[in-house]
Amino acid sequence: MTVSDPITNEIIRNSFLAIAEEMNNGLVRSAFSPVIYESKDSAVAIIDAQHRVLGQSSGIPLFLGNLEHCTKVTEEMFGRDAWQDGDIWIMNDSYISGTHPHDVTVYAPLFYRGELAGFVASRAHWLDIGGKDPGVAMDSTEIQQEGLRIKPMKIVQGGVERTDVIELIVGNTRFPVSCTGDLRAQFVVAELGSRGLVELYDRYGRDVVETAAEVMFAQSEQQNREGIAKIPDGTYSADGYLDSDGISGVPVRVEVVITVAGDAMTIDVTGSDDAVRGPMNCGAVQTVSACRLGFKYLINPEQAVNGGTFACLDVKVRLGSVLGAQEPSPCQFYFTPLGLLVDLIVKALSPVLPELAAAGHYGDGMILQFSGTDPRTGNKFIENEPHVGGWGGAPRNDGADGMIWAMSGAFKDMPIEVFETKFPATINEYAFRPDTGGAGRFRGGCGVVREYTMLLDDCDLSLWLDRSQTPAWGIEGGTAGAAPDLIINPGRDDERRIMKVNRTRLRRGDTVRLMTGGGGGYGDPAERSHADIARDIAAGYVSASAARELYGYDA
Amino acid sequence: MSEQFRVAVDIGGTFTDVVVYEETSGQFRTGKSPTTPDDLVRGVVEAMNAVVDDPDAVRSFVHGTTVGLNALLQRRGERVALLATKGVGDSYFIARGHRLDIFNIHHVRPTPLVAKPDLIEIGGRLDWQGDEKTPLDPADLERAAAYIREQGIRSVAIAFLFSYLDGRHEQAAADYLSAALPGVTITMSHEAAREWREYERTSTAVLSAYSGPTVRDYLSRLEKGLAEKGISAPVRVMQSNGGIIGIAKARTQPLQTFFSGPVGGAAGGEVLSARTGRPNLICVDMGGTSFDMSLIVGGKPEILPHADMESFPALMSVVDIKTIGAGGGSVAYVEAGGLRVGPESAGAVPGPACYGRGGTQPTVTDANLLLGRIDPGAFLGGKMRLDVDAAKTSMDALAGELGLDPYALAEGIVDVINAKMAQAIRAITVERGIEPRDFSLVAFGGAGALHAAALAEALAIGEVVVPALPGAFSAWGMLQSPLRQDFTRSFFRKLDDLSPAALDEAFAPLEADAREALRTENVESAEVDFRRQLDTRYVGQEHTITMALTETLVDDFHEEYRRRYGHASPGAPLEVTTARLTLLADVDFPAVSALAEEAVPERDLPTQTVIFGRRSHDTARIDRDALKVGERLTGPLIIDEPTSVTIVPPGWVVSVDGFKSLILTKDAA
Repeated sequence: MTVSDPITNEIIRNSFLAIAEEMNNGLVRSAFSPVIYESKDSAVAIIDAQHRVLGQSSGIPLFLGNLEHCTKVTEEMFGRDAWQDGDIWIMNDSYISGTHPHDVTVYAPLFYRGELAGFVASRAHWLDIGGKDPGVAMDSTEIQQEGLRIKPMKIVQGGVERTDVIELIVGNTRFPVSCTGDLRAQFVVAELGSRGLVELYDRYGRDVVETAAEVMFAQSEQQNREGIAKIPDGTYSADGYLDSDGISGVPVRVEVVITVAGDAMTIDVTGSDDAVRGPMNCGAVQTVSACRLGFKYLINPEQAVNGGTFACLDVKVRLGSVLGAQEPSPCQFYFTPLGLLVDLIVKALSPVLPELAAAGHYGDGMILQFSGTDPRTGNKFIENEPHVGGWGGAPRNDGADGMIWAMSGAFKDMPIEVFETKFPATINEYAFRPDTGGAGRFRGGCGVVREYTMLLDDCDLSLWLDRSQTPAWGIEGGTAGAAPDLIINPGRDDERRIMKVNRTRLRRGDTVRLMTGGGGGYGDPAERSHADIARDIAAGYVSASAARELYGYDA
Repeated sequence: MSEQFRVAVDIGGTFTDVVVYEETSGQFRTGKSPTTPDDLVRGVVEAMNAVVDDPDAVRSFVHGTTVGLNALLQRRGERVALLATKGVGDSYFIARGHRLDIFNIHHVRPTPLVAKPDLIEIGGRLDWQGDEKTPLDPADLERAAAYIREQGIRSVAIAFLFSYLDGRHEQAAADYLSAALPGVTITMSHEAAREWREYERTSTAVLSAYSGPTVRDYLSRLEKGLAEKGISAPVRVMQSNGGIIGIAKARTQPLQTFFSGPVGGAAGGEVLSARTGRPNLICVDMGGTSFDMSLIVGGKPEILPHADMESFPALMSVVDIKTIGAGGGSVAYVEAGGLRVGPESAGAVPGPACYGRGGTQPTVTDANLLLGRIDPGAFLGGKMRLDVDAAKTSMDALAGELGLDPYALAEGIVDVINAKMAQAIRAITVERGIEPRDFSLVAFGGAGALHAAALAEALAIGEVVVPALPGAFSAWGMLQSPLRQDFTRSFFRKLDDLSPAALDEAFAPLEADAREALRTENVESAEVDFRRQLDTRYVGQEHTITMALTETLVDDFHEEYRRRYGHASPGAPLEVTTARLTLLADVDFPAVSALAEEAVPERDLPTQTVIFGRRSHDTARIDRDALKVGERLTGPLIIDEPTSVTIVPPGWVVSVDGFKSLILTKDAA
């Protein structure tokens, strides 16, 4: 078998993907926390000895291509000799991994015939990692308030679990049983990945596998360079505002400047505002991931990600900015600026990639968190969930109605029957919110209403809703989608509207009415077909009066 | 006593297959007739006519059809009105806000099976314990009836919150509507699926309401067509859960017919497993566009508690069949200088280049032809001559781009598609903690036996079985499948709190339902099994494992968990979420005994050049009919039959067992 045989290369390329899939399935199926097994808030990767991704699988697009950063930084800190067979490492440091402390990365070196041959890694969102509040805090002002901070360290040494370290970590969480379960699930993933890679090396030989990887990187790079070369050289930019960091109450600007030169692209976000006091800063590594995601939306979206995918993309981040968090900036909601950032990348390039364009989407997780003690069982509970909204219209389709935002990947909402069984509250309403999608030849998707009523005397509610300052914009003549809104006790004397809060007190019978935003419209509303407008009215997505006003339509 | 026949008929996309078992002679016969899409029953009757002359001799009739699935695929089902709980009816359309394709910003959901204006919300609510919070609103029901009548809607799905705990609101609404709207079909979610998760349960009810009328209409016409032919034997239908059921029951659970074709393959595997004493089988069916896999573990097919029907969930037991896009028609192409094969297929039109119907891209079939593995004159029993030059031309262009010799490319295409199929098999086995090498590979379908030995090699599987009648293996399996019906209900308990009495109480209603079902099925067999199972998990987890309820449930669970995930937490508390009862009744299929070994003539087989491992080999060819029971031949060898080709590569031997299966093993020498 010759070393650069295209047939063997293709077989090995498929094997990398298959191993990563097997690892992620193993993680999702054996995890203890719903945020992993239900929301798929996890990612896995197999990585070569030079810290390049061979294959990865993720339920969360934002974890795209940054697990390798963890192995790389660890090596920079401790030297290459620190890698020892039988060890497993752990870390969650926001300034290294770029995410919030709840995302715990577990990784292991892979030794083949006594030599370091690569790494396997997984990242999973733990239910609780300590910190000042159960679950997540909406008002932290320094990273230490957000949870235990774990810099790279060994958690398994020579095949033996370091029980003292495990005790230290899970002892700092409020849910030691499920966190231990999730940790063990991550150990399993390391085992699955190692086994898969060793089998591959055994079958083809390490040199053949490594050559295949080089060929694969080169192919991915070439494909993406060809994709970029189709875009006219030039500079493309867009900007928008986040509502507030939850503390200062001041809008925060995010700016994207994209330069295309030949077959290379630079995404520069250095013009974005300085880091903020509240928990809305993002580590540079995760900003890079978000830029990669925006890039991937537009360039070869169907292609698998590997070490060659982003070779033609340079990202410029300014440390100390909201997108380049440094100690001690809090990072809990690092993803809120990224939701806007990714939308802005699409917006900036839409004029030159008209086929791939899309109007803005509702763009934030719309997170509600309830916590307290369930009077039915006497057990403490935390329920933390993002909510669905409207997506942007596109050149050939309306935006999706009520679908989860870009950053939450393959999330599924919690069924009402499951929610009411597990938590002491009812859901009165879960319905599309009419007239929230922007008008256009292809309209934006509708947001939703989800209304909760409390069945306990004492409940804490924390809220994190954004994108009312810069709601989902329309493009090519389409109009913007509606902004989100939230009312506590609508119609009562104590009614209040609020978007971000940490642990406000709710009583039995209190109602929380969440209204998520819609997507932006695409194209001139006057070009929308009457049949489509009539269908929208009949379905209740658009009211008759809005149809008249926005589309000039009279039934 | 005159001859007695058992008959199975499986409708496929192109052909309708019949298998007849003659009880006195113990012989199987097959027939085949073109599928007649305008009136499927005609094709069934024609296929029967070809092999059954005396209708009185037919003592049982089993049928596999995908008419329900086709109605869904082609969106030709019934218009459905959905009655849902006030305030939350949009849950069906929000579909849990989920998307699979996380890098796509142009995501479009599959069009729901209910048009949005046909959603009617009804006041009235149960709480999380099934207790009534708000009574059903009669004014809303009146409004619903008026709308359904005015719109002329013929099928209604009713899906209220928490109906899996108490179906009274659904029942009351159904009673009201059936009185107000005679002739309208009503499907209640708590009958369609007695499990929690309102979106999935609603979807199950809607799927049933949508496709039910088509399925029922078809089954009625089938019954009539068979009666007109003079067949009075009971008619039974193959179900997605791997068993058969009487036609009357099939009408009430139309979704169970959806996968009855592909499931036949697993049913065949189960029979083969029992008959030949091989407990563990990987069954693979490779056709022109897709590669279907199922597992027999410990003699039983793997059953999943939930199904996916064209992206719509259904809460019902189905045989676990995984499909990937890999078949004879899979197209090879170059991307960024690398070779890719599939998942796109050339289909039947234009088809592979060698079909001469305008296809120019090389496919897996073209590759097999060029390598000499398919005989251009023997394809489809010689009914269609393949064009080797066209295959070569298609290969040359791609080979030039990759800098390869066209024959090396052809073998490479086969290697890549084999690797993809092998990985798919790995995924379904390793994911469950199963070692493929502990299994035999059963290959059927048009292309299965062409690739089986190579797949086995890649997976270190020691043995390949190519059953007799590989083209009609599904129908053959259906003929011998047991009656099966599944009964489930949500049942949340900590395992520690479960006394035998509590379990008996939980299963009692399910068992009563099962006994009633048994009575109406007129089962001829005494071999009846009521199998109790519990969906079990560690307290706090979400995903469950369906475990047989035995004395050793707890230990079995930890063991099974360890097998699947490589770790377990013995001592950690367990809980159960769903009680499942499976009714299985044997159909008393006569024992089939192995045939005696036959005298083997001296063979002087013609040879031709076939490429294996980049080298030409003089390879013998033989018709499968000519092979004798007990005969053993050494590869390289190619065995031709009208609907299939079996490759015995160099280093492999083939023998013919007493059931006329081909058994391929690595040559020990």
